[in-house]
Amino acid sequence: MTAAVASAGIRDNPWLSFAGRRLGRFVVSLWVLASTAFLMIQLVPGDPVRAALGMTAPVELVNARRQALGLDDPLWVQYGHYLRGLFTGDFGTSMSSGLPVAQVIGDRLPGTLKLAVLAFAVVVVVAVPVGVVFAVLTRGGRRRGVELGFTSTTVLLAAVPEFLVAVGLVALFAVALGWFPVAGRGDASAFVLPVAALAIGPAAVLSRVVRVEMLSVLGNDFIRTARAKRLPARLVYVRHALPNALTATLTLGGLMLTGMVAGTVLVENVFAWPGLGSTIVQSILQKDYPLVQGIVLVYGVGVLLVNLVIDVLLALLDPRSTIRES
Amino acid sequence: MSELMFDAVSVRYGGRRGLTAVDQVSLTVPAGQVVGLVGESGSGKSTLARAAVGLAPVSAGRVLLGGADVRGLPRRRPLQLVFQDPYSSLDPRMSIGESITEAMPRGAHRGSAGRRAEVARLLELVNLDPDRAATLPGHLSGGQRQRVALARALAGRPDVLIADEITSALDVSVQGAVLNLVRSLQRRLNLSMLFISHNLAVVRYLSDQIAVMYLGRIVEVGPAEQVLTDPQHRYTRELLAAAPSAHSSLFDGDLGDLADTEPADPHHPPSGCRYHPRCPIGPLVHVDRTVCVSEDPAEGAARRRHRAACHFTASDLAPTAIPRGGSAS
Amino acid sequence: MATGVGRRGSKWLAAARTPLGACSIVLLTLVVALAVLAPILWQDRAFAVDTDAIGQGPSGTHLLGTDSLGRDILFRVLVATRLSVTLAVLATVIGVTVGLVLGALPSVLPRAAGRLVISVVTIAVAFPGLLLALFFAVIFGVGTHGAVLAIAFAMAPSFARLAQTLAASVVGRDFVSAAKVAGVGRIRLLVRHVLPNIGEPLVVNATIGAGAALLAFAGLSFLGIGVQAPDFDWGRLLNEGLDGIYLNPAAALAPGVAVVLAGLAFNLVGEAVAGVVGVRTRSARIGRRSVPAAGTAAAEEHGDDALLVVENLQVAFPRPSGWTVPVRGVSFTVRAGEAVGVVGESGSGKSLTGLAVSRLVETPGVVTADRLEFAGTPLLTTPERELRGLLGTSLAMVFQDPMTSFNPTRRIGRQLAEVSEQHQGLPRRKAFERAVGRLRSVRIPAAERRARQYPHEFSGGMRQRAMIGMGLMGEPRLIIADEPTTALDVTVQRQLLRLLARTRTEGDTAILLISHDIAVVSQTCDRMLVMYAGRVVEDLLTGDLAAGPRHPYTRALLAATLELDTDRAEPLTVIPGRPPEPDRVPAGCAFAARCPAATDQCLVEDPVLESVTAAHRVACWHPQEDAAPERAREAVTAGGAE
Repeated sequence: MTAAVASAGIRDNPWLSFAGRRLGRFVVSLWVLASTAFLMIQLVPGDPVRAALGMTAPVELVNARRQALGLDDPLWVQYGHYLRGLFTGDFGTSMSSGLPVAQVIGDRLPGTLKLAVLAFAVVVVVAVPVGVVFAVLTRGGRRRGVELGFTSTTVLLAAVPEFLVAVGLVALFAVALGWFPVAGRGDASAFVLPVAALAIGPAAVLSRVVRVEMLSVLGNDFIRTARAKRLPARLVYVRHALPNALTATLTLGGLMLTGMVAGTVLVENVFAWPGLGSTIVQSILQKDYPLVQGIVLVYGVGVLLVNLVIDVLLALLDPRSTIRES
Repeated sequence: MSELMFDAVSVRYGGRRGLTAVDQVSLTVPAGQVVGLVGESGSGKSTLARAAVGLAPVSAGRVLLGGADVRGLPRRRPLQLVFQDPYSSLDPRMSIGESITEAMPRGAHRGSAGRRAEVARLLELVNLDPDRAATLPGHLSGGQRQRVALARALAGRPDVLIADEITSALDVSVQGAVLNLVRSLQRRLNLSMLFISHNLAVVRYLSDQIAVMYLGRIVEVGPAEQVLTDPQHRYTRELLAAAPSAHSSLFDGDLGDLADTEPADPHHPPSGCRYHPRCPIGPLVHVDRTVCVSEDPAEGAARRRHRAACHFTASDLAPTAIPRGGSAS
Repeated sequence: MATGVGRRGSKWLAAARTPLGACSIVLLTLVVALAVLAPILWQDRAFAVDTDAIGQGPSGTHLLGTDSLGRDILFRVLVATRLSVTLAVLATVIGVTVGLVLGALPSVLPRAAGRLVISVVTIAVAFPGLLLALFFAVIFGVGTHGAVLAIAFAMAPSFARLAQTLAASVVGRDFVSAAKVAGVGRIRLLVRHVLPNIGEPLVVNATIGAGAALLAFAGLSFLGIGVQAPDFDWGRLLNEGLDGIYLNPAAALAPGVAVVLAGLAFNLVGEAVAGVVGVRTRSARIGRRSVPAAGTAAAEEHGDDALLVVENLQVAFPRPSGWTVPVRGVSFTVRAGEAVGVVGESGSGKSLTGLAVSRLVETPGVVTADRLEFAGTPLLTTPERELRGLLGTSLAMVFQDPMTSFNPTRRIGRQLAEVSEQHQGLPRRKAFERAVGRLRSVRIPAAERRARQYPHEFSGGMRQRAMIGMGLMGEPRLIIADEPTTALDVTVQRQLLRLLARTRTEGDTAILLISHDIAVVSQTCDRMLVMYAGRVVEDLLTGDLAAGPRHPYTRALLAATLELDTDRAEPLTVIPGRPPEPDRVPAGCAFAARCPAATDQCLVEDPVLESVTAAHRVACWHPQEDAAPERAREAVTAGGAE
């Protein structure tokens, strides 16, 4: 009886039921991710241990390693071990270094996080105001020249992938001008080029999206209402248009942030940045599957977390969203 | 030519927190007659139409066409629907001829020449130039598109035609032409027809019978002139009084503050009589009429005049007949 | 069908002539030509090892220098075009196919299985393509084949999602329902109705997807996971070039530039196609607008109590073909406390007149008038900053669609309050209290609570009340209501019209009610202006409506309006023909083509709005005289000429 009442209470509170539903989805997604990462190793053709140790490794060594990794157990036993390991923070052991995967990840994750978060901050701080300003300047077909310049610049910048931007930046600022270090992780100046390489493309995309969203919001009836109230233009744009443009912007911003997490893989490789990205590539090439698996999990959880945060923010921003879902 | 019958039809959307858009509606469209269905937006009149052609899920009851359950009928049924918005009901990438051809019963017209001749015949039937069969809908006006939609519906050789707000997207001057067409077609082809509109004047012009819907229920149904001149349900009266007219005043039949109440929420329909929170002869005005809150007036409606779903029908109380279209005071 | 093809063909041609279209065609042609020809022409030179020239910078013999084996960078980059492009296209084809299959599966599979596919796609879509590609690269193995499959599978989920979304939007439209009702089968529905309507966006996205695949492939090869030596694509070259970036930056930059150009080629083609398929925004350049010397109404007498004076108002918009003028010389006066209706069919310019009068027409629209004064202030010459206070407090607007006219992200009370904060200098709390009071005065129940709610929690009628309440935040002397009840039910419509009428008497506020419904206007207003094709054709007291309007159009409109006492035995009156398009208004009287009384004079000379009595103006060469409007009914077939 009480349980029924409680569940009815949750159903009646849109916020609680939204949080419940969204958390449930997050947990299911985590499980799917973990299982997929497990399956990934199983799907690798041939014997992963043989592949990792090389063709010349003696049979005994391969067998011993297989035993140690539990690869000879039935599949569901392995799966059980694997899930239990995840709960206790045991991601297995790296085949190439012999270190625990968790430790390797712990060493490398902060470098990647710093890069991604800094770049994201730069993107938001630059792109939103730029998008708003250009939307206002070019609204209703005004200033076609400015619009053309803005669109072509951003299209061009967005078309260049981050690793090529990185190479270009290195060639210009590190090789030709010598202002910043080419690679590695030293003082603050070492951050400039990698962060710029990560941020330029997404900033171009986001500012375009903000502009387009602002323009479409400016075409709405309620903007006409705001103008009919004779509010100053500044209030019309900032108070009435911008919040409505942000929902779509935020959705894209989330995708962009996860995209930048992926972008770090390439950029870290250009700058020999000691992060997860350079590590996963090396481990793929060395066929160090436990390490690959661990890093895939970390990236995956990161993506799912970003999506969770974005969904919650969207619900907070848009008073209709909770209603819409139910 | 056959009759269309709704037998206690309910349409329910969603799960536990869903809504019942149509609630136990029984209505008969007799063969060769036009039944007009009026009601405000959200009353479920369009849902009822969609349920008849299988576009909305019938969760209880049956829809019978010529006595047979429509669910048992083949895919191409002699029952057609014309939609409200002529701008979205025609495929923008199909010529109007193709759209009409598509709706023809298979095997009815041998060869492409036979089908072309039939398209030409149908276009002429709706007063369109048969040479325009190759035109895309984008080149037609709203009124012309609605004619094409009519022609497509007729291509299916229907016995029963349902018209769902077919003139509400059109201008006054075009509306008349489409209504004239509908009426002449109905008479010429002896169609049974369910004509749905929010506009009482439009419904009155075409219909032999009028049914009034409120919050998923039919609250009154009867011969057109009788329903209009001697409405039994207060909601029908209110609709009549509210119909804009060049020769009636805004303030005729003032309902006082009751007129300013919010429309009911279909997710949480009121108990008893669904109209009681707005009713000027209900419990809000007459405190002793608790029966309106507790008892569903649908019980025993069959015994009342016009099957009115009201515990205190007009003829019981105030036998003042209302002049047509006139004031309710 | 022929017209459709012709129209579309010319659309493509037009697209090719735009800078974007031309640019993309040139780039794509170049890329394709290189992919075909480069390996045939320069295969040997790209592989020729020159041990004397290892890791050199650009020189006369090697324009972009050499690599670590002394091979010429330029030729290697050119030759790599074929492999790079082929792999990208191959991956795209596989990816799009898999994606479409995934997208179509839910509609074919049983419900549960379909939902599983959808949720897997939903999760996968959240992951960036590169991560998915890395994931699949582990499964499919390092190398060219693995990379093709990895990129293809990484693309598939987003394509599946795209196909699902597009299909869902098409399936939700009436024409699909109509086809279902007509008995059209599932397969034909998919092939004839759904696919053609989602095909173009899919092609556009596939093209852009090919560009993305190219970049992704370069990325994988750059990481060493894609193409393996001795084969080489641009990514591989980039990888090799980066190692020697201090010796020869060109070795790293050249393949980079190649990747970007090829990627751009695909992207631009996609964008250009999207431009053709979607809505075009670009318009031709048009010169400054000069006010056309069209016939204007005679200046009207207006007394001291004139609140709004409009003389020869024109509104024009630029179109690719030139200026179109939907409002062509409108003149009228609204006196203090008067209710004036504006009646007309869609396209008559009535709404635009309302917007122009309230100065809400935005560029590129141009508003001109000989005189446009509100409360004695000229609206067109006074700077906007000075007008703001006056219009913000004395002029209220009510718009047609209550569902979209409020800002969905702000509470109703705050949206009202900001008027007083802005124009009356009230502090936040005071302004909010005033807002609650105004909501109460427009009879919104539980105003205190409702003020804290968002627009979506209000019904349409209540929103329209709140909109009137918003106008009452100041001390309005004029309310312009543009089809305020069109979206509402009749019972709610009457409530709202009553509210407007009461507001008018209580505050001595004038009302300009714009409506397509002559009955609504005659119930609410003292006087009505009948508009046709951007002109006022008649200005009469609503009391005179029964006695007989003078203009044939007004008479036809009145006769065509269905009432509860329309004779059921007779066919309805129709007005044959249709109004002219605003950019193709004929010379002479715009109504002449549909007018039963038209003569040769009507086809040549445009009649001016002239007074027939003190309170009655009409623009017609042959104003109708007889008292009762003759209900000239057309035969049913005549309606077909519309």
